[in-house]
Amino acid sequence: MLELSHVNMKFGGVNALSDMTFHVPERSLTGIIGPNGAGKTTIFNIISGVYTPTSGNIYFQGSDITPLRAYQIIRLGIARTFQNLRLFTRSSVLENVMTAAQNRYISSFREEIFSGSVTQTHSPDPSCWYNFWESCFHLGRWGKTERKLRETSLELLDRVGLADRADQAAGTLPYGMQRRLEIARALALSPKLLMLDEPAAGMNPEEVFELNDLITGIHRDFNLTILVIEHHMDLIMKICPHIICLNFGAKLAEGSGEEIQNNPEVLTAYLGSDEEGE
Amino acid sequence: MAFTFSTLIQQIINGLSLGSVYALIAVGYSLVYSILLFSNFAHGGFLVVGGYACYYLLTQWGYSVAVSMFGALIASGVAAVLTERLAYKPIRERTSMTLYLLIASMGVNIIIENLFVVTVGGRIRALPQNTFPTGIFNLWGGVTLSASDILSLVTAVIFLSLLQLFLNRTRWGLAIRAAACDIRTAGLMGVNVTFLISLVFFVAGVLAAVGGIFLSVRYSLYPQLGSITTKAFIAAVIGGLGSLPGAVVGSLILGLAEMLTAGFISSQMRDLVVYSLLVIMLLIRPAGFFGKEISEKI
Amino acid sequence: MKRNIILILIGLCLAFWPMGGYQEGIVILMCINCIAAMGVSILTGFTGIFTLGHAAYMALGAYTTAILTVRYGVHWFPAIIAGGLMAVLLAWLIGVPTLKLTGDYYAIASIGLGEAIRLILENWQSFTRGARGFPGIDPYTTRSTAVVIFVFLMIITFNFLQSRLGRELKASRDDATAASLMGFNTPRTRMKALVISAFFCGIAGSLLGGYMSFIQPSMFDMMKSTELTAVVVFGGLGSMSGTILGSAAITLIMEYFRDISQYRMLIYGLLLVIIMVFRPEGLLGSNEVWDLWGFLKKWRRKKNA
Repeated sequence: MLELSHVNMKFGGVNALSDMTFHVPERSLTGIIGPNGAGKTTIFNIISGVYTPTSGNIYFQGSDITPLRAYQIIRLGIARTFQNLRLFTRSSVLENVMTAAQNRYISSFREEIFSGSVTQTHSPDPSCWYNFWESCFHLGRWGKTERKLRETSLELLDRVGLADRADQAAGTLPYGMQRRLEIARALALSPKLLMLDEPAAGMNPEEVFELNDLITGIHRDFNLTILVIEHHMDLIMKICPHIICLNFGAKLAEGSGEEIQNNPEVLTAYLGSDEEGE
Repeated sequence: MAFTFSTLIQQIINGLSLGSVYALIAVGYSLVYSILLFSNFAHGGFLVVGGYACYYLLTQWGYSVAVSMFGALIASGVAAVLTERLAYKPIRERTSMTLYLLIASMGVNIIIENLFVVTVGGRIRALPQNTFPTGIFNLWGGVTLSASDILSLVTAVIFLSLLQLFLNRTRWGLAIRAAACDIRTAGLMGVNVTFLISLVFFVAGVLAAVGGIFLSVRYSLYPQLGSITTKAFIAAVIGGLGSLPGAVVGSLILGLAEMLTAGFISSQMRDLVVYSLLVIMLLIRPAGFFGKEISEKI
Repeated sequence: MKRNIILILIGLCLAFWPMGGYQEGIVILMCINCIAAMGVSILTGFTGIFTLGHAAYMALGAYTTAILTVRYGVHWFPAIIAGGLMAVLLAWLIGVPTLKLTGDYYAIASIGLGEAIRLILENWQSFTRGARGFPGIDPYTTRSTAVVIFVFLMIITFNFLQSRLGRELKASRDDATAASLMGFNTPRTRMKALVISAFFCGIAGSLLGGYMSFIQPSMFDMMKSTELTAVVVFGGLGSMSGTILGSAAITLIMEYFRDISQYRMLIYGLLLVIIMVFRPEGLLGSNEVWDLWGFLKKWRRKKNA
């Protein structure tokens, strides 16, 4: 479904990612782990188009998305959350989700007749769409669409346990709830690939436990591929059958939780070795 | 207008002279920007305070030129500090949004301008003829160099060097440079930030007063004189907001551009050229010649 | 729907309540100022783009309408629309390169652009009659015209803010990066906001020309642009009803002090500083009037319980 092929990313002279190659299969739940500064978030930024890689390619559902801009990539069906929360703080919780929900796109493959190549196109989901004049006069599809957006968004809020907070300003929610709101907002885009950037950061053990259930539940019910970044090993080990381990911008190991835990290189990276104590 | 070599030289001289006045204003503005990261539109007001203080000390109270100038610098510096304490400080303590500071600074500018309109009237005044040496030197081919040109260049160089010395050689200068990098960390390292900001405003006010006195000699003195600071802002932006060498370079470029346009195209096009220069610069390199590009962490 | 009916009723009152010529003038001026302020509010309050050059779009609207009606004998109504569209065209041309700028940089660029447009109008003697101004415009802006256009634009604005577009603008204001990662083409979002706001300002300028019968480039200088933005901040960034109330209030206050015109600007400056110091979030913060109604109800319920 998602494939990174020999991706390099340089900031100034620093190699944030070097020769990153991995594959995320359809419907999988993959975890990315690694110490701080290993380049985990950079991977998300590159996939979601915040940065364009210095070299290498990214393929999503078979098509090359490397040159696309962030909003184009999102419209293809990739959604993400942010490590340092980025909600629309002054809007209400419900509005946050509706803002994303109105941007549902239907992407499909289109065969270029003349060049013979296959490209991916996207067009707005007609059930979420109405035009400028309809919004100016609140006529036509406005009423029906707004009602539908509101219902879908409330359902998603209910799913993450925030339905009773719908009218509150998003910025005033407690930290853990803001994290869950981010997940609901990303889900509202009805993505095919959901990328969660440290969803458990700053949560207490009980909240992490609930989060486990939430993520596995979403994975089960929404027909999604999920990619999670975490540096809490235990969370990842518990929910992700497939794990990729990074260190210093390079892939260190890949495999099941057990394989990762028994990999000597991973242990060195996490626990430090004699030559380079961390 | 025909292109002649003597016009070119003449306009370069005029441009450098004008640019040096802009530089005095732009550096103060840039200094404030480097610390507080907002465009202080009240800067033009400080300049007017300086101009009027000098005028009244000279004509009404009959002090000597040196004393009047000194008094004007102090008055303008104090006005700047007062503005900071009364208007900006309460806002800074309440919010981190620089937009509010920016609007308040516009308010302060309007207040200062209209205080003078209300109290002394909008009449155009001129500093007495004998305030500064007025000789005109004829160079070759009809090119002239007036004493006030030389004086403004020399004064600008002196004051900017003093500022440089202050910033590089004194403890408070070091603190200001540290605060320009990161004011919060500077505060955590034990710098008295409140005093530091007042100091910066005082220095900016003093520099504005020098600019104000020269402008009122070159043109004349009226409450709206401060609007010329828009040009100094533009110079600071062209040079790179928050960068002092940038402000000087930008000012000289702007002064030259203005005078060369006046000399070779038409003096009505002067302002248009200035604003186009600004927009072009912002499009090519928004951070100016010396500014830092800021990138955001995601 | 209830809101629209109330707005229309207020509009009918403003338009047909019998009043003297002086009061009529104030109502017209209020409508014009509110239209321009709504335009700036869409850009500054709802999209977070701070502008100090929007008077230029008013100037463009005013001159387009004046030249069309006086020189070419066009009927005033299509000429007003043309004024708005001209502002839109220019906003689009300007927006393509400049909207990449953010923060203070766009504000400073907008000063430059605004002043440049004013200077062009001033120096293009053959077309605009330059700095002396453009006299002899038909006084087509009657009270009912101004009120009808104002109420119409107001209803449209409230409606589109409560729809896809409104959420899109607010998202890009609160966090442009997050907005683009929610599938919004943020440069286009910013462009939409600029173009709509320019349209409003263009219309306001056209109406102003018809009200004064005389326009002059100096009416649309940086001072006027600052005033527009200040009014929006005064009303509350992100509150359209606050913007309208604030703009109406400032118009009335300024009118009240007309006799002591010397002190007018002084008071205006003081007002700006005082608001920034004591209530920087403006009259209504980012709430609308009807939100306050909800707060009041909740508060009462709490008190009763």
